Formats: sequence, C-alpha cells, structure tokens
Amino acid sequence: MIPILRRLACGCALLVLCASAAGDTPLTPADIAGAAITDEISIPMPGEFMAALNKLSRLNWKSKFRPPVFTNFSSRAQLALNLGGLIADGYVAIEAEDGPQVKNIGKDVLAIARPLGVSKDVQDRGNSLANFAETAHWDELKEELEATQNEVKAAMVEHKDQDLVTLVTVGGWLRAMEVVSGQVAMEYSAPGAKLLRQPGIAAFLIKRLDEMSEKVREEPTVRDVRKKMTDINKIIAFPLDTAPSAEDVKALNALSAEAVKEISKKPTK
Amino acid sequence: MKRLALPLILSTALAVAALAKQATTNDEVDARQQALKLAGGFGNDGFKLRDGNWAGTLAPGKPLLLQVNLYAGNQYWFTVGAAHGGKKLAVSVYDETGKPLETSPYQDDSVAAAGFAPQASGPYYVKVEVLDGGPTAYCLIYSYK
Repeated sequence: MIPILRRLACGCALLVLCASAAGDTPLTPADIAGAAITDEISIPMPGEFMAALNKLSRLNWKSKFRPPVFTNFSSRAQLALNLGGLIADGYVAIEAEDGPQVKNIGKDVLAIARPLGVSKDVQDRGNSLANFAETAHWDELKEELEATQNEVKAAMVEHKDQDLVTLVTVGGWLRAMEVVSGQVAMEYSAPGAKLLRQPGIAAFLIKRLDEMSEKVREEPTVRDVRKKMTDINKIIAFPLDTAPSAEDVKALNALSAEAVKEISKKPTK
Repeated sequence: MKRLALPLILSTALAVAALAKQATTNDEVDARQQALKLAGGFGNDGFKLRDGNWAGTLAPGKPLLLQVNLYAGNQYWFTVGAAHGGKKLAVSVYDETGKPLETSPYQDDSVAAAGFAPQASGPYYVKVEVLDGGPTAYCLIYSYK
C-alpha cells in the first residue's frame, strides 16, 4: 500500500511541477471524427462545472437554491427532465454544504423515480445520500450523487427507455447552465464567461434529442427544450480565446432559466 | 466513530455493486479494478472520481480516442487499466484541433494515467493505447478537482 501511495504522491507532484510533453503526432480530422463520445463520461457532471466556477470567486451557493419542484407529472419525459434538474440541485446543495437541503432533494429524487419505475434501484442510494449529508461527507456526496444518476440511467436502459436517459442528462445540464450562467451574469468577468464554452455538449445533446422516438420528441416540453437548446448552442459555441459579452451571458441565462421553468411547470388541467 | 463508519461501509458496498453493474465482462471488471486502484489514490489529493467509465477492447497499434469536455481551472487525472498483468499502456490528451498537449504521465504494469490542467474550457480528446503486450480489455476513468 505504501509504495502505491508513494508513487501516487510522485504523480501528483508531477502534475504541478514538471508536466512533460506528449511527444506525439497531432490527430487527423479522421481521428477526431472517429472519437467516441458517451453520455456516461463525455458529458461532464454539474459538479465539475461548479468546481470550476468555485475557483473564480467565493459564491453564496444557498442563493442558488430554487423552491421545491412539483414531482407529480404524468408525462414520463417531463419526469426524466426534472430528475436531471434535481440531480443538479443536489450539487448546488452540496456546494452550499446544506445537509437538510441535500436530504430534501434526495426525497424528491425518489418521488420522481417511483413513477418512472426505477425507485427500487435508487432506494439504497437515497439512504446513502442521507447518511453522507448527516455526516457532512461532501466529497463522497458528489460521487454518490453521480452514482445515483448512473443507477437511474442504467435502470432506464434495462427498461429500454433510452430516450429518458437523454432527458435526464439534458435536464441536469440545463439546470447547471442556469446556475453557472446566472452567477457569471451577476458578477461578469471574461474568465467566468469563458467557462460557458461547451460547443460539443449542446450539439451532442441536440443530436440525441433528434434521435428520440417521435412520440417523445413531439411532447410540448421536449419540443420547447429542443428549441431552447439550439438557441443556447449558438451562444456557447463561441471561438476559443474569446469570451461572450455580458449581454450574451445574460441571454444565455435567460434561455436556460426559461427552459428549466418550462420543464418544472405544473401541467394545466 | 459509528457515524463515520456507516457512510464508509455504505459507500464501499455501493461502489462494489456499481462496479459489478457497469462493467460488462469479467475482463472489463478486472481492468476497472486496476484503474480504480491507481485513481483511488488521487482522492487523497482532493480529486473526485467520476462514477462513469469507458471500457472495451484495445489492440496494439490501434489506439482509441474519447471526447471529453473539460473546464479551465479544474485539474484532471485520466486513468486507464488493463485486464490481467504484463501490459504497457499510455494515455495522452489532445486539444480540439488535435494538437498533443503536455500532461503529467504515469505508467506502471497494466495501468497508466495522465494529469492535465486545461487552460481553456471545451472539448478535448483522450487517447488510450497499448504500447507493449497483446490485445486487452481496458477501462478508462477520470478524476477532477
């Protein structure tokens, strides 16, 4: 065990002290076109986005909480979108180090998982989230939250609900975008605005939305989200080494906030 | 003490359950265990491990590429493990134009890692390859802080 730790310590030191060149030939356009991209690992979790934001300024994460969301939707697509949003809310609560809020979100996750038919798969995770929250194990909570999301997605794949997997990812990504762009809009800086550059992700998610079954794709909420994602992609696909203006960031925040509002909107009778 | 032990026990039990659930073959489970052994140590330095992984079969002379999306300001470790022993692996990182980037490399028997701190947010490419040894199941995981 000690030799492993020693080697790792050396490795960590290397990261800081003496990075070495890859000494490799560049990738060709064909290489790049053939690169794998997966929902599970190519799409960053909201926690990564928030970790980057944390390095720019000290944030009042509690101010990013939103009122409890409605969890009794009849549309499975809307449930899945809200489930993703709740996972992102979980990261906000962890950043705020607010145990009761984490536990409340855990309960809402379970409430939404039930009608989706995946509550059995997340029951243990829910208990684990509550225990980590009680004992203030914030780092472990982040890993557990992602594991919860992956557990839900794995259950959806088992139930042949691939469309729902995409919607969970989209819901989480939009809520994280709302939170981060809201903060950048509030305290605009070029480095903060550059964090919002995510051309690959929006394009990937839009493609996944387009591949969904027509029945799901044509649901009003999904249609609205698809349109907002296209508009969002126009703002976040800015060139490297430039930063979007304060107005662009405000527009991005408005679009993502509207999308999240639409997703969590109670159905009208 | 009990309050500390419970989450640890739960975490370990759930991690083992997740390990069995995510890997599709025994060799991929073995490869992931190799990667986790190395990446677990980065946790001591504050790195949080992503739960997802990228697994499959890697053949000599046929590197594989994965697109990831990284944020400026964060630090990352990409760790790959191979099933069984006796393999020499490498991990390298490229920017969105395909230019090779400087990383902190690490290599040992059937594991390799690359530490990287992006200067700009956006898409990057991670290449995994077998430098020495036959075809093998592999598993790539990553950590960030």
